[in-house]
Amino acid sequence: MHIIVCIKQVPDSTQVKVDPKTGTLIRAGVPSILNPYDHFALEKALAIKAKTGAKVTVLSMGPQQATAVLRLALALGADEGVLLSARAFAGSDTWATAYALAMAVKKIGQFDLVLCGQMAIDGDTAQTGPEMAYHLNIPQITFCESIDANGNTVVVKKLIEGGHQILQADLPLLVTMTMPADYVAKYPSFMAAHKAQDKLIRTWTDADIGADPHKLGLEGSPTRVDRIFPPPARTKGEMFSGSDMELANKFVEILKKERVVK
Amino acid sequence: MAKNDLTTRNLMLDSLKQYAKNRISFNLLREYDAKNEIPLDILKEMYDHDILGVHLLLIPEEYGGLGGQTTEIYRVCEQLARIDLGIATGVFATFLGSDPLNVGGTPEQKAKWFKKIAHENKLVAYGATEADAGSDLVSLRTRAEHVIQNGKVVGYKITGSKMWISNGGVADIYTVLALAPGGPSWFIVEKGTPGFTQDVHEDKHGIRLSNTAGLAFDEVYVPAENLIGLKEGQGFLQAQAVFGYTRLMVAAFGLGGGEEAVETALEYAGQRIQAGGPLSQKQGFMLKLITPHYIRFEAARAYIDWTAKQLEVNNHGLATEGAIAKLYATESGNKAAEDAIQAMGGFGYTKEFAVEKIKRDVKITCIYEGTSEVLEMTIFRGRWQEHLKSRGQYYLNQAAEFDALHAQNPQVGADSIALGFRALARILEDCRVNKLTRHQYVTFMLGDLISEMEVAAVFTRQCANKIVTEGSRFDLATLCTMARVNARQSAFKTAGEGLRLILGTCPAINTAEVSQAVNLVGIEDKMRGLIDDMDTVSAKLREIFKK
Repeated sequence: MHIIVCIKQVPDSTQVKVDPKTGTLIRAGVPSILNPYDHFALEKALAIKAKTGAKVTVLSMGPQQATAVLRLALALGADEGVLLSARAFAGSDTWATAYALAMAVKKIGQFDLVLCGQMAIDGDTAQTGPEMAYHLNIPQITFCESIDANGNTVVVKKLIEGGHQILQADLPLLVTMTMPADYVAKYPSFMAAHKAQDKLIRTWTDADIGADPHKLGLEGSPTRVDRIFPPPARTKGEMFSGSDMELANKFVEILKKERVVK
Repeated sequence: MAKNDLTTRNLMLDSLKQYAKNRISFNLLREYDAKNEIPLDILKEMYDHDILGVHLLLIPEEYGGLGGQTTEIYRVCEQLARIDLGIATGVFATFLGSDPLNVGGTPEQKAKWFKKIAHENKLVAYGATEADAGSDLVSLRTRAEHVIQNGKVVGYKITGSKMWISNGGVADIYTVLALAPGGPSWFIVEKGTPGFTQDVHEDKHGIRLSNTAGLAFDEVYVPAENLIGLKEGQGFLQAQAVFGYTRLMVAAFGLGGGEEAVETALEYAGQRIQAGGPLSQKQGFMLKLITPHYIRFEAARAYIDWTAKQLEVNNHGLATEGAIAKLYATESGNKAAEDAIQAMGGFGYTKEFAVEKIKRDVKITCIYEGTSEVLEMTIFRGRWQEHLKSRGQYYLNQAAEFDALHAQNPQVGADSIALGFRALARILEDCRVNKLTRHQYVTFMLGDLISEMEVAAVFTRQCANKIVTEGSRFDLATLCTMARVNARQSAFKTAGEGLRLILGTCPAINTAEVSQAVNLVGIEDKMRGLIDDMDTVSAKLREIFKK
């Protein structure tokens, strides 16, 4: 079994600020991390590897610095890494990115399962995974909290409004993973980090994956970002104090005034 | 296997940070601090190969370790210090304790003991200090007597005592310095050896999470194979060979502790509203209590990293550079922690906030591995020799280098460095001519000024060469501004202090003539724009550390 996990290097959003004037992210001094959803997806792939002996390849698109997240994935137990890096990829939206990643998956060749994080925390679109499935022409299941491989099929727990579904599906398949609120990401030991240096990371350009340059970058991106802005700050609420009974009466009075209740 | 590259180093540091974030809360640290207890389970986890395996860094690859280079070890030390200096000291004691073995051990000894430390996760302690032998190891009293069988030395009986030994009460393996018939020598003593006992854990001002205890040896028998290097009399050489290196690690402790304190204070200042705005927006607050410390930290980081890279080439030595790094970084860290309390006012003075603990902890870095005063003396001696050997040209040559640097890049304060070095050269020369170094105080102060100038010079040179030191959170432009501020202040301190020393010890000197030669006025002239530069750094700090 061969699992390809798609991962992305993102700014640590807990430390990113938005410049209120320009609407752009202030990246100065902000460390880069492995997108937490991808981290979770990778751990799930490695759990399947531990159980079935599957091979795990990690795939990322980004500048050379993105090697760091591939190295992290290799240190955690992935077998090989592929980095898509070329000027032609710059400015790609989710559609063009999904195209490039799908072309890379095709170039990797034989695979059974593509795992993606549900979304990247720097864009929050949750589009790239599903779009990749389209480009690869394979079925997809999104928003899965767990995944288990069983012979030629996988069983997933997919989150839906108000509950979850347990689904079984045949391979090949693309699955996007979301994570439980109490998820604590695993990090490698010093020795594992050291040994990951010996694992292979291939760097491919647009030419290497046979991508049509018109389908990449700004030209290949149908999305245009009009404006990014931080949401306006919430207005201050009114504070009341008093005994329970006084407060209850006050609330009823307001609800009536606002015509919420008669 | 390749040496660890930058990505690998960063991975290790991330793992360490994440481990600390998930496992070591401030409340946990506070609890152990109050109990004055070592968190042994945490240390054991840090040594666990599957969790972190920090100690593997110090063990050569051929014995199952990571063969860590100086750079990654100092960066790990800095990060450990940011977590807790007591825990850092516990880990460091294993590093330090293994050093005599690393330097002087035979291949068989290394194989035996390193494998034990690597695979059985043994805690190690370094037993050198005695009641009368601190920095002055020559007064060593602990003795190792021959045990002879059939005319052959088969072992040693060690008798004596050691004090203030980190991990003293909890280590499994001890490297102990004792006076053998052939001279001072290192011995390996295992816990549980008959006659070997450990005293109670000291009640210390800070680093209370580090176990510190005395050791007592009453005719403790160790086999001859436990004599490190199998040759007597190598003890001092083996101890001194690693001073440059070990002091660099403590320098990183000072840096890490100081950074953690000031960062806590800056975060607080971003939220503390006084007189209509956050404290971090107030110029005086920043320029007095926060910004100068970040400038010194970046200077220290540049110097530590530069020394580490030199040590990786030379392996041993660089005792003067190690001393400079430690003096500068630990004194800067200590002062920074004190100001962090001041910056947080009453909050900073309570145990509710980390800065109070950091202040107590970081003080040790100015004491262990050579007090600041011993270091000043070491630095003075090292460079005094250079001054004499070069007939006063040592710093004048460097001044010329910085003149050239300034011509290429006028933005990094190289002109001030050149002026500072010329002032320093003149001060040293006046001290020589007038025999002023007969005053011990003068030698201490000269050591301090030398350290001040050399660190500033390396920082400026790194910036001129467009080097952003790894681990720095600042961009090159900000670092250049910092270097410019730092160069001016270091030159000013050197010239002003130098004049104070010369005129204070030698009233016969012509004030006008020496003042002109030291050129304090020329250095003062470089101060134009200084406060603007500091404001620029403050603005950058607010941007980077804004929550």
